[in-house]
Amino acid sequence: MTPRRSLATLIVLALAVVGTGPAPAAEKTLTIGLLGPLSGGAASYGVELQRGAEMRTDEINKAGGLKIGGDVYKIKLVAYDHKAQAAEAATATNKLVFQDKVKYIIGNAVGATCNAAQTITEPNNVMFAFVCWGTANLAPEKPYSFRSILSQWELAEPFYHWIKENHPKIKRVAVISPNDTSGKDTNTAVVKALKALGFEVTADEYYERGTKDFYPVLTKILAQKPDMLDVAAAPPGEAGLILKQAMELGFTGAKGWTAGINPFTIISVAGREAAEGVWSPANINVKSEHVSPAVRKFGEVYEKRYGEVAGVIAVGNYAAFDVITQAMRRAGSVEPDKVLEVLTRERFETVWGSLVIGGKETYGIDRQFLYPLIISEIRGGKVVDLAQVLPAALKKK
Amino acid sequence: MSIELLIQAALNGFGLAVVYILVALGLTLIFSILDIINFAHGEFYMLGGFVTYYAFAVFGVNYFLTLVLAVLVVGAAGVLAERVVFRHLRGKTLNAFIVSLGLLWVLQASAQLSFGVLDKSVGSAVSGIVRVFGLIISRERLVVIVTACVLMAALYVFLKFTRTGQAMRAVAQDPDAAALQGVNIEAVSALGFGVGCALAGAAGALLAPVFAVSPTMGALPVVKAFIIIIVGGMGSLPGAVLGGLLLGAVEGIGTLFMTSAAVNMLGFLIVIAILLVRPRGLFGVA
Repeated sequence: MTPRRSLATLIVLALAVVGTGPAPAAEKTLTIGLLGPLSGGAASYGVELQRGAEMRTDEINKAGGLKIGGDVYKIKLVAYDHKAQAAEAATATNKLVFQDKVKYIIGNAVGATCNAAQTITEPNNVMFAFVCWGTANLAPEKPYSFRSILSQWELAEPFYHWIKENHPKIKRVAVISPNDTSGKDTNTAVVKALKALGFEVTADEYYERGTKDFYPVLTKILAQKPDMLDVAAAPPGEAGLILKQAMELGFTGAKGWTAGINPFTIISVAGREAAEGVWSPANINVKSEHVSPAVRKFGEVYEKRYGEVAGVIAVGNYAAFDVITQAMRRAGSVEPDKVLEVLTRERFETVWGSLVIGGKETYGIDRQFLYPLIISEIRGGKVVDLAQVLPAALKKK
Repeated sequence: MSIELLIQAALNGFGLAVVYILVALGLTLIFSILDIINFAHGEFYMLGGFVTYYAFAVFGVNYFLTLVLAVLVVGAAGVLAERVVFRHLRGKTLNAFIVSLGLLWVLQASAQLSFGVLDKSVGSAVSGIVRVFGLIISRERLVVIVTACVLMAALYVFLKFTRTGQAMRAVAQDPDAAALQGVNIEAVSALGFGVGCALAGAAGALLAPVFAVSPTMGALPVVKAFIIIIVGGMGSLPGAVLGGLLLGAVEGIGTLFMTSAAVNMLGFLIVIAILLVRPRGLFGVA
């Protein structure tokens, strides 16, 4: 080989080496769908769902995107309003899956809309991390579905266990929820926990969503003279009206809200006096000493951005988004099947603290996010945290 | 079950009924004068609620002054709707029906954009409860019942004894004959639509402190109002009063014996039965 040919060979080799070096990461777009009631009676849920997801989306995009394998993904959030109506939820899910071609959907709100969405997400292998309390929403035949917030099955037993220990005079409890999947499932879980713990259930009552006047049903409930009234799965606006009207009808007993979230709406609607003393295992005070520094920081950013105090749904959906994107990174893929495998196998550090996915004993499959719950009380128009308790399923993990 | 409980339930039902009746009276008044079934009627109820929210809760205007303001604002909105939209659809029942559905969505979406989607608490105008012979009613609801009864009486006097009211009744009975007698049909139609909407606005304003206000708050009362006017007879004012009392009694007392879903179903079963047995309703004219 002549020196000239050797030099040429070296140049070609050098170019080849440069050419086969690490390629610049290709920037792609990962579209994630958001479903929620952005209008209507349950809009307070939807607004929080959207804000929680928006905050995580913006954080990822501002940090340069989501690095998965050799690719960098910018996250695009596409949100649709289902007004907490099943038919609207089916339409919106169809749009997300077939028009926007998403492989991941987060959000939701109530059991009926969750059922409707799952009829589309499951057959199309679309991962669906939802916030709703329907028991049947998690099942072995629904492997792509996850619940990203504690449900009535994780909340009711430790909640009433705490009440029994700390307020032993409470013996007779009345429970009221909306007449739909979320309501029925919540009352079922609460009544089961109450009976198992030796309480007497004086009423297991339902009302139609959208009801404003609760005098008729409360007259029936209060005639049984319960020690405690649990507005179990009532959304904040309706729960506020129930408590306000119960007070007007002379009820002075203890008040609970097993699946209750967004306490500030209940205070606003019921008024301070009627909302005073409401216990809940599902609320969160993002400013409390019981929550992690990460939740407190999330709460500060949220309040600065939206001018309102973050509720548990916002935190939950933020965490859901975070867990899914962490799982994508670890899986090195955005394919739901590969992400699914990581999700169910590993532990994730989130705003909730260390989070695992379990629930097989209740649902037949590990698809329930598990993290510590905080029992809180509304006191003087504020939410005061009383205790941190572990759901039974998490204790076993 | 004690008598006391039954009477309390009946009282609860009566409290509901008077407000439903106000909404239904407006709906049936509009139908009788313009022959229009206004599906957007609930949105005028909602508008009354928001006038109360802003005047009373935000700007601190006196509650009773707020009620007057809500009646005037919503009445004016009704006159505007008649002049801009419904006047041109007189006699075109199907077109008016579709347009009123469209107006419903336009007003509701506009309210969502303008006022937000969340429930807004108005706060109590009067607080405390009244106990009489073991029966309980809040002062707030007592104000609603009394004011609604006063408004109904005022409507009766207006329609029965004033020249304008008599003109409205004449147009409702026979517009052509009324026109031949010199009644200005267009002015009466606009006024009738305005009065009808003002009644819905008054109901919304009365209930705003009792419940909360939201852009979708008109959906339920308008459904109840339709049940009432079908039972009582389309276009019949006494029918609307009777239908309202009947529905209030069914809802108030029925809840003691059955679930809320069954009570709601019962209301519609009564409508079906009335339509089958007496299609013109209890007081309707064939």
